This record gives sequence, structure tokens and C-alpha cells, in this order.
Amino acid sequence: MSEPSGHPTKRLTNFPQTTSSTILPSHTPGLYVHVPFCSRVCPYCDFAVQTGGPKKQFAYVDSLVQEIRSWGAQVRGQGHALGALALETGQSAPAWSCVEPFDSVYLGGGTPSSLTLDALETVFAALSKAFRFAGDRTVTLEANPEDVTKANLAAWRDLGINRLSLGVQSFDDDALCLLGRKHTSGDAISAVRAAFAAAFDVVSLDLIYSVPGQSADSWLSTLEQAVGLEPHHISCYELTVHEATPFFNARKHGQLVEVDDDTKADLFFATHRFLAEAGYFAYEVSNFAREPASRSRHNQKYWDHSPYLGLGPSAHSFDGQSVRWWNERRLDDWAGVLDEGRLPIADAESLTREQLALEEVALKLRTTAGLDFEGIERRFGVELASLNIEAIKHLRKSGLVEADAAAKRLVPTLEGLAVADTLAASLGITSG
Amino acid sequence: MEVRRAPGGYNSPVNKIRNFCVIAHIDHGKSTLADRLIQLCGGVSDREFQDQLLDTMDLERERGITIKSNTITLAYEAEDGETYTFNLIDTPGHVDFAHEVRRSLMSCEGALLLVDATQGVEAQTLANVYLALEHELEILPVINKIDMAAADVDRVLEEIDEELGLDPFEAIPVSAKVGDGIEELLEAIVEKLPAPKVDLEAPLKALIFDAEYNAYRGVVLFVRVVDGLISPGQTIRLMHNGAEYEVEEVGLLQLQRVQQKQLGSGSVGYVIAGIRAIDDIDIGDTITDATNPTTEPFAGYVEAKPVVFSSVFPVSNDDYEDLARALDKLKLNDAALTFQKDSSSALGFGFRCGFLGMLHLDVVQERLSREFDLSLLLTAPSVEFRVTTADRQTHIIENPAEYPDPAMIELAEEPYIKGSILMPDRYVGTVMELLREKRGADIKFNYLAAGRIDMTADLPLAEVLFDFYDRLKTLTQGYGSFDYELLDYRPTNLAKVDIMVNGEKVDALAMLVHHDKARARALHACKQLERTIPKQNFKIAIQGAIGRDIIARRTINAHRKDVTAKCYGGDVTRKRKLLEKQKEGKKRARAFGNVEVPQEAFLAVLRADPDES
Repeated sequence: MSEPSGHPTKRLTNFPQTTSSTILPSHTPGLYVHVPFCSRVCPYCDFAVQTGGPKKQFAYVDSLVQEIRSWGAQVRGQGHALGALALETGQSAPAWSCVEPFDSVYLGGGTPSSLTLDALETVFAALSKAFRFAGDRTVTLEANPEDVTKANLAAWRDLGINRLSLGVQSFDDDALCLLGRKHTSGDAISAVRAAFAAAFDVVSLDLIYSVPGQSADSWLSTLEQAVGLEPHHISCYELTVHEATPFFNARKHGQLVEVDDDTKADLFFATHRFLAEAGYFAYEVSNFAREPASRSRHNQKYWDHSPYLGLGPSAHSFDGQSVRWWNERRLDDWAGVLDEGRLPIADAESLTREQLALEEVALKLRTTAGLDFEGIERRFGVELASLNIEAIKHLRKSGLVEADAAAKRLVPTLEGLAVADTLAASLGITSG
Repeated sequence: MEVRRAPGGYNSPVNKIRNFCVIAHIDHGKSTLADRLIQLCGGVSDREFQDQLLDTMDLERERGITIKSNTITLAYEAEDGETYTFNLIDTPGHVDFAHEVRRSLMSCEGALLLVDATQGVEAQTLANVYLALEHELEILPVINKIDMAAADVDRVLEEIDEELGLDPFEAIPVSAKVGDGIEELLEAIVEKLPAPKVDLEAPLKALIFDAEYNAYRGVVLFVRVVDGLISPGQTIRLMHNGAEYEVEEVGLLQLQRVQQKQLGSGSVGYVIAGIRAIDDIDIGDTITDATNPTTEPFAGYVEAKPVVFSSVFPVSNDDYEDLARALDKLKLNDAALTFQKDSSSALGFGFRCGFLGMLHLDVVQERLSREFDLSLLLTAPSVEFRVTTADRQTHIIENPAEYPDPAMIELAEEPYIKGSILMPDRYVGTVMELLREKRGADIKFNYLAAGRIDMTADLPLAEVLFDFYDRLKTLTQGYGSFDYELLDYRPTNLAKVDIMVNGEKVDALAMLVHHDKARARALHACKQLERTIPKQNFKIAIQGAIGRDIIARRTINAHRKDVTAKCYGGDVTRKRKLLEKQKEGKKRARAFGNVEVPQEAFLAVLRADPDES
């Protein structure tokens, strides 16, 4: 088998199939589209992004449409399309077996708002043809303030986008500069107001804290301004220095001094307390909403093992039962594989029941709703409650969780939320 | 270079055999020279040839040192047209492995003494010459690395003459790397090194100088036949315990084993005799014929004594049996390793092991880890102290757990060594400081040729255990070399330091140290633990204590936040993998009270130099 030049193909051996049918069926599916373009890549970003002019964008859209059609054919059960998509190993690609229509569409990236309107139209047209969507679907677009114009907003509404997530990051212009953002706080404020005027169902702001050199006061001030604009939803992310990013190198050479651990903790608690006071209720470590209806429907699917299909470079998918897969990360690789008439899947894994349960425990401990052991036990056929009675007693005593007497429901306190990752590691799971 | 592959094969008559080893200081090029000789004498086809071939263990390749003694038989067609059998034994150079050198020496008549032309005669060169002379070998000096710009052959010749007392005119200059002088060397081996002396009438007498365990064939013995011959079908007797076995196969040690009809007097090779009981084998033992035994086994050869002790525990209690088996197998070709059962309240069941030095300890730990895939915890290494209690009893103690009540101790003594350092005299000042820091006494100087100095000092062995050699190398910019011999026991002021984590003693980290060093050692251990124990949901107090006195303390604050508040994108896989890794890490941690101490923490306390902060 010779490899076509220029496109490294990953050999996927032994493609996993869904495991047991005793795993209960899941909830409604979501669709994710990764747009890998940004006009400028931020120095802290480790997502699959790059800069790209119109030509690159057109090429991307062409490939995306191909990917959409391929999946569409598979979903409709058109055998010959599947045959054309079969991997070199001769085994069939992971199957999208969910028959329900998507009730959430999420365009993320990168900067999806940097796509031209033509491009967006093409993408949406292909999506409508290929898949079925629920009537009350949420369609989210991530946008940067500099792309927010009246014309764009109107066009986005026309396309059916009803949730706008704005990459504001900060209202402190110094912080914005350090973060390499293209807009000023003034731009951000105008963008938010314009978004409101365009009548999206939900306007959400993304903010970043623990920015080196930013004082706690400056962060609180950003929060105040954010709250003052009255968005429906706010996400607060802590700046993390990732390998192979300009920030990582800067830190290595002593040019970037990270915020110390204690201050990070302070900021976390301060953020939650401030927003709670202001009427924004945390439903997850980083996510706050004025009311339940404004919560991110899409992210929720990640936390409760709903199925989600990911399109575009680096996109992740889950079949709702036990199989995860993800696309080629690099744009060229992703497009190259599609060119050969195959689905651009880089790798996949088939999870055991214990792994699924572990995931659910870890993800749910990051939510303020906490987790329901019984539900997890039933769904995956594992034992949790009886195994962890001592551990949970200890956590309760330490004030990290609240639990009912039978240890069937577990809800993290704010202190518990702050250490959710190690909490998950201390709980045991065995298959029943 | 043409390959002089001898057409006749390997069964030369006795007068055409040359048994020799290559001895030298570390890094003077033994392995490269051995490679060259192998290459030239056609021991292997060019395609099979691989650099540093005799360093068969990955570990040796990685560290660039030779640990195991390896042997190879080569055939050389000399200028006189005759074919000679060369039995070449490659030997380790590190001070810890002197015992391995002795075993090889006993199998040889000659020795190539290798000296690096850029370094000159070093401490171990001297030591090895003394060893070779002790075994009455004919020594042929070889000056290596003459291709290097820094080579100073004249100076080395002077050193060979004055410091080693050998004839400089006999010395052969070579470059093993480039290939110069090798042909002259081969001829010199034929001419200058003696053939073995054999008594063809005498009964079989062969020396076991090494062995290895093969899963299919059992123990493979490496032998030097002195008198008589060994052939398949013969019943041999291992003289130290009288065990008898029937020989299945004999042969030569080339790059693989090559079967032969017999091994004759004067030859070197292997014997396979269906031996499965590793305990039956004693390296240094004599093999003789069961029906016609020799009455003169080899003089008992001195076992190297272990001087450094550490307890080894498997991280998972389930691995105890595997560890036991691994130590048995390791001991087969590492005779110096000693061990006996041990247990710790915190770490479960393990073994108290004796090593020749820190390098030996390191090597054993890595071999256990790699060859047997074992995850291990080691306690702080210790020497053997002698403690006399009030009731006039004397105890040899190397395990802190056995330390008696200090109130009962009348006298404590520790082992001393005489250390010898060879280096250029410009480093005298800094090295003096090092020696003083290490409680050195009776420091003497001896000025040698060419601006070099031989410094000797009486040092406590305990001070030399950790990184002494590395620090010496750093201080002398690589020019200093070190060797030592055990002296005697001298009075000392001993203390037992306990390490505690939130009030619980971590008995595995307890140490016996000189009183003056106790605080520094305790603080070092506390700092290493502070660095490697991950934050937990509560404060952690780390303390070092002598009895009830806390002499060092560090604190790890509780972590208030660990959760990553970051953006997701549906990549749950990465998150889960991190979690699975955390859980694995927990399995490898031990709980002391409520504190989880990971394996890394134990290793950190052990590994880092306690004299450097």
C-alpha cells in the first residue's frame, strides 16, 4: 500500500466497535464544527488554529462540505458511501448510530466569526442537507469582538445562529495586549451591546483570569464590567501555560512570570463569589448563567455522555455509547485524508464501563449539580457507592462535598469544586 | 584494514594460545580496543559488527561503562604464518568492580595495560597494575588515543617508567578508534605474552570465572581450563560442594557460543551441564573430573565484601516473589551482591542488600527495573557500623532499625578507607577542602612526575558513598582520579535520624549518620520530600528528628485549588488519561498516616547528593 505523497496517513488498526448493549441509550446528540482560522494566533492558545486568507478558507470549506456529506451519507445508512469511506484496514469507520436529530450545533475554533458570510452559508447549506435538526435547536457561533458588525450580526441571525459567544477575555486593555488580542475593551463593549440589539437568544462572554501581571482588582473590575453589560452567560477560564506555545517559551526564558498557586486559588474563589452575588449561578467550574435556560446545552453533552459528532480538524466525537474518536489535528492532514475519499479520523478508542464511569465521575464533580451514583451505576453497570463510603465520609468531613446519607448523591461545595480533579482520583470504581 | 580471518579455526595447540585481559582506568578505551581486535581477527563478519559489541547490556551502552566481564575467542594469523588463539577478556574499570577484575586475571597469563595518552596513568591504572602483578601476569603497556591532539606519548612513557615501574620500551602506541598500531599490538601479543603452562598428565582442573543463566539450557559456565580437558559426556564435579553433573556441551565464546568437541588445556570457553540450581554455582570454584579429580583446587579467592547496604522493597506487595527470583538470577553473575529477607512496617516485605559501592547499587537497581520489570523502593544506603553497648556486647549494625537505645551505647565505630587521588597539583586547594568536608584525616601528598600529585587521606567510608567521585571529578575538571582500600574501624559520633510525615515515622527513610552531619542530612531529606510529595487537602509537616529533638522541618501547605478552569472542546480522552495516570500514581504511593508519599519521593531522598542543597 503506497502512501500518497504529502499526506501522512495514520494506520488505524483494529477499529473499535461499540461495546456492550447493556449500556443504556443516551441523550440527544450535538454537532461540533471546528473552524481552525484566526486572524492572529494568541500566544497562549494550544488549540488547532492557524492564520489563513480567503484561499485557505475556501479550500477548508470545500473539504468540510465533503466531510459533512460523507457523514450525512453514513447517517442515512447509504452503504456505498460507507464503502468509499472504509479505512485501509478494510474495517468500517466508527458508526454514527444515533437516529435522533441534533439539538445543538456549535461552531468553535479558532475564530469561526472570521469566516466570510459566503463560507458560512455554504457550510450551513451543507449541514441542512446532510443532517436532521431539532426544531428547538441551539446554534452557537464563537465570535471575536472585531468581527462583530451590524451586517454580520444580521447575517448570522439569518443563518439561524441564536447563541453568540464573544471572546472578550478582558476589559483591561493591558491584559488584552498581553493576551495578544486584536480588540480593545471599548470594542468589546460595543460588540456586546450590538449583539443584544441583534436579538440573539443568548449572549455569552468568555473571560480569562490569572493573567500574568494583572492584579486581583483589575480582574474584579473586568467582572464588574462584564456583569454590568448583563450577558445571559459568562465563562471564566484560568490562563494555563501550555507546552509549545509562545507563553511557554517566554516562561522558560524567565520573561513571563505566572501567577502563583495561592493567588490562582484566591481568584477562583473570588470569581465564584462575585458572580454569585451578581446573580450569575455557577453550574460548572468555569461556567455561569443568569438562568438555567441560558446554560450551554452543548457543553452539557460532554459531561453526561451524550453523543456528539465533531467535524473539522482536531474535532472530537463520541457515539453516545462507548466509542470516542478524533480527527486529524493539522488542517493539511485533515484535508488530505478527505481528498482521498476517507473520513479524516486520526484515532479512536473503545472504552470499558469503568472508564466511562470514571469519566462521568470526573466530569460531574466539576458541576454544581454534582453526581448521582445510582444513575452512573445503572447506566454503566459499575459499583461506586458501596466502594466509596469511607472516602466520601472523609470528603464530607473536610467540607469538600455534601452527600446524602446513603452516599448516593454527591455535590461538591465551592472548596470541593476547587479541587475537583483530585477528588475524582480518590474515588474507586469496579465493574459490577 | 584487512580482515585476518584464520583459516584453520580455533583449535590451536597450547603454545599458540594467548590468554589475556585488557585492564585500565575508566574510559581509557578498553571497549574500543576490544572492538578493534575483534574486527581485525575476524571474530565476526563486517555486517555483524557493532560498535562496543562486548558491552552487551543496554545499561552499559547508555552509561558508556563496562559492568560485566565478557570474553571472546579470536583467531589471529600472525606474521610467522601460524594461527594463534587469542582469548580476550574485557574487564570493568570502576573502583566498585575490582572483584570482577580479579576473576578475569586469574584466567590469564598476560594483560594489556591500557593507558590513555591524553590522561596518563591514573589511580586505577596503578591499582590494576598491582593486581596484575599479584597474579603474576606478564604486562604489556599499550598507549591508546594517540590520534588525539592532546596526546602526550612521551609523558606517558615517563609515567609508565617511573610510576608503574614497567619497561617503557615495551609499550605499544595505538589508536583503537582510528586503527593505528593495532597490527603491531597483535604481533606483540604473540611475542611478548606467554602461552599457558599446562600439565597434560594432570587431572582436569578448570576455573569458573563467570556464569549466566539461560532459560532453556540452565547455567552456562565460563571456564578457563588449566589442566586436562572437558568434553560432552564427561561427569564433572564442582569442588566447593561436590555436586556432580554430566557435561552436555562445551565450546568457545565467540559472539555467540560455538560448540566444540572438547575444551583443552590452556583454553577458555563455556560448559553446559544441565545445571538448574543456581545455588550450586560459586564463581571462582574449581571444576574437576568426578572419576579422576584433582587434589588441588584453586586457592580460595577472596570474595569482595559489600560495604554499602540498602533495603529494597517492591512497590506492590504482589511483586515480592518476583523480586526474590530476580535477585537470585542476578546473583548468579553478580557474585558480590548479597541479600537477605527484610521487612518494614510501612513498606512490607523486601530484602536487605549489600553492595560494593554506590555504582553497584545503582546498577543493580536499574537491572532489576529493566531486566525484570520491577518497580522498587530503596532505603537510604548505609555502611556497617560497629556499636558496643553498656553490657559489653558489640553489634554490627547497618540497618537503622537495629540501632540500639542511644543511652546504652558506649562506643560507636565506623569503617574508614584510605583514599588515593591522582591529579594535577593545581587542584590541591579545592580537593583539600573537599577532603576536610568529608572528615578526611592524615592527609598526605606525594609529588609525581609532570606536575601531578598523589594525595592520600583517611576517610570515613560513609562520606565517600554519595557522589564523592563525581564531586572530585568536577573540582578537578575531570583530571582527578580516585581509588580506595578499606582500612579499619574508628570511633565516631553516631546518630539515628528519623524522618516523620505528619507525625508518622517513615522508617524506610531513617538513617545512621555522623552527629555533625545529622542536621544537614535531615534537612536535605525534608527538602526532597517537600519537593516531591504532592499537595493534599491538608497541611503536611515533614520533620527530621534525633530521638525527640526535631532538627529539621519543612511544611507543605494544603492545596486549595487544583481544578483546571479551562475550555473543553469535547476532548474528554485527554482528561481521562490524566486521571488514569493519577490513579496509577496513587497505587505507587504509600500512605503514612493520611499522607500519600509517592515512589518518586523515596527515590528523590535517596538519589540526590545530601551534601549539596
